[in-house]
Amino acid sequence: MSDAAAIRVRDLVVARGHAGARGFVLRVPSLELSGGTVLAVLGHNGAGKSTLLETLAGLLTPQSGSVEARVGAPALVFQRPLLLRGSARWNVEVALWVRGESRAARRARADAALARFGVAALASQEATTLSGGEMRRVALARAFATEPSALLLDEPFDDLDATARERLVVDLRAALVDSHLAVALVTHELRHALALADRIAVLARGVLVQQGRRDDVLRRPVDPQVAGLVGMTNLLPGELVGRSPIGCWEVALAGGGRLFADAAERPPGRRIVAGVRPEHVKVDADGDDRGLVGSGRVVELLSDGALVTAWIEWERLRLRTHLLAGRGLGHELKIGDTVRIAIRPEDVHLMPAPIDTPP
Amino acid sequence: MRDVAEIALRTLAVSGSALAIALALGIPAGLGLGRRRFPGRGLLVATVNTGMGLPPVVVGLLVALLLWRSGPLGSLGWMYTPQAMVVAQVAIALPLVVGITLAAVGGLADDWHLQVRALGASGWRAAWLLMREIRPGLLAAVIAAAGGILSEVGAVAMVGGNLEGETRVLTTGILMYTQMGRFGDALALAAVLLGLTFVLAAALTVVQQQRRRS
Repeated sequence: MSDAAAIRVRDLVVARGHAGARGFVLRVPSLELSGGTVLAVLGHNGAGKSTLLETLAGLLTPQSGSVEARVGAPALVFQRPLLLRGSARWNVEVALWVRGESRAARRARADAALARFGVAALASQEATTLSGGEMRRVALARAFATEPSALLLDEPFDDLDATARERLVVDLRAALVDSHLAVALVTHELRHALALADRIAVLARGVLVQQGRRDDVLRRPVDPQVAGLVGMTNLLPGELVGRSPIGCWEVALAGGGRLFADAAERPPGRRIVAGVRPEHVKVDADGDDRGLVGSGRVVELLSDGALVTAWIEWERLRLRTHLLAGRGLGHELKIGDTVRIAIRPEDVHLMPAPIDTPP
Repeated sequence: MRDVAEIALRTLAVSGSALAIALALGIPAGLGLGRRRFPGRGLLVATVNTGMGLPPVVVGLLVALLLWRSGPLGSLGWMYTPQAMVVAQVAIALPLVVGITLAAVGGLADDWHLQVRALGASGWRAAWLLMREIRPGLLAAVIAAAGGILSEVGAVAMVGGNLEGETRVLTTGILMYTQMGRFGDALALAAVLLGLTFVLAAALTVVQQQRRRS
């Protein structure tokens, strides 16, 4: 994999702004982007995602460490697709013009790139009159036209309505599959990351806290903060009691109730946080279900039309679960209903408790 | 009538040279001042802004002091020559060009330069893209500078002297003929001056419209 790395980062330290209150330092010990792989960079606002991309693009000079890019510069697509005065075609051509390419070559490649993103018909339209979604497509076409060593995308789906976003995700994925590009995709929305990413890196306050294969990070976040970012939103503090007769780890939760975690989990200490993804909280359990933990009461329901989020009060805890809207439980469940809850041991992930939580 | 043509041609030569010099110096200065941050920049910007509103008579006085036989540049022997008038008109137009260019660069989004850098543009290509982007601002600078120096009378009268056949231009001619009560001659020169201003404005408008369409 190292040989295929389009960008390789070593011991990177990037300081931004002046030292002091507004100062910010990004630290990335090691990171690789490889061809044909999409790395999603997750983190809250101000975690350093854009700083990382701008450093990878060579726009920021690191204080120490190195960013090695294989032949060809990486192409960065900004959060706000910044188009220059002129036609959509010129906006794609300009990336080739700065490399001194001939007019004919520029035009051919620009038109091909615009077509790839479905905006060939807009080629001669003034860029500033395009819609947000169209501008983004032109910006992506511009990045692709340069045949970069890597593609760096900063919130590519921000500010788009749901339909436009979905279509862009589909088109972008098709373009990525064809191109075998190395891609870093910065987003604060997990769903976009999951739609495209093979790998996930998580930044928190300038520090790279976790990176790995997508499903590994989703299933085994290193701490509750990462867990929250990757959608493991049931975070239940508690204490490790010991091993159950069947070999599972038994956890006494601080809010009451007990959970069992799979034997394969390695408990990080006595005081832990048990993480459970909402889709792994089953609320129509019957007596035979593995992982039956007890009964709870529905206290809140929220539907976005496709998915219902239900909050279940169990002991002194609130569990969050997802149901499909409009059918089965997602249709029938009402506030105040009593449900039987099952959480299977293999779906419980143990993390160290943050130092600042009271025992 | 030969007079009028000769005065008009001289006006074009003097003001044209002044405009060319002011643009050649002012646009790069405005781009640089708009782009870079350095100590003393604030003072420089304030100086430019003051210069934009400088009364031409004051410019005339300063240029006269400079070019006077005993002045610092007296040895050039430019006083009461077309060169002196060009110097005065450059001094009037330069702050306008720098100031308007500067404002146009400042009007760009903060990340515009970052985007251009991300595209890999540097050197003359980056400067060209920048000028392309602020084209309406640059056109405004050209119009303001041309208008300012074509219609200006005080400074050129002071340093040119309105010498017949040497430094008489449209504005100083109008001034003189009006004072002499020769309104017919004054009106003839005024008509030419208005015509020049109109042709200039029309040419710039055409350029602006064409670029927008392409």
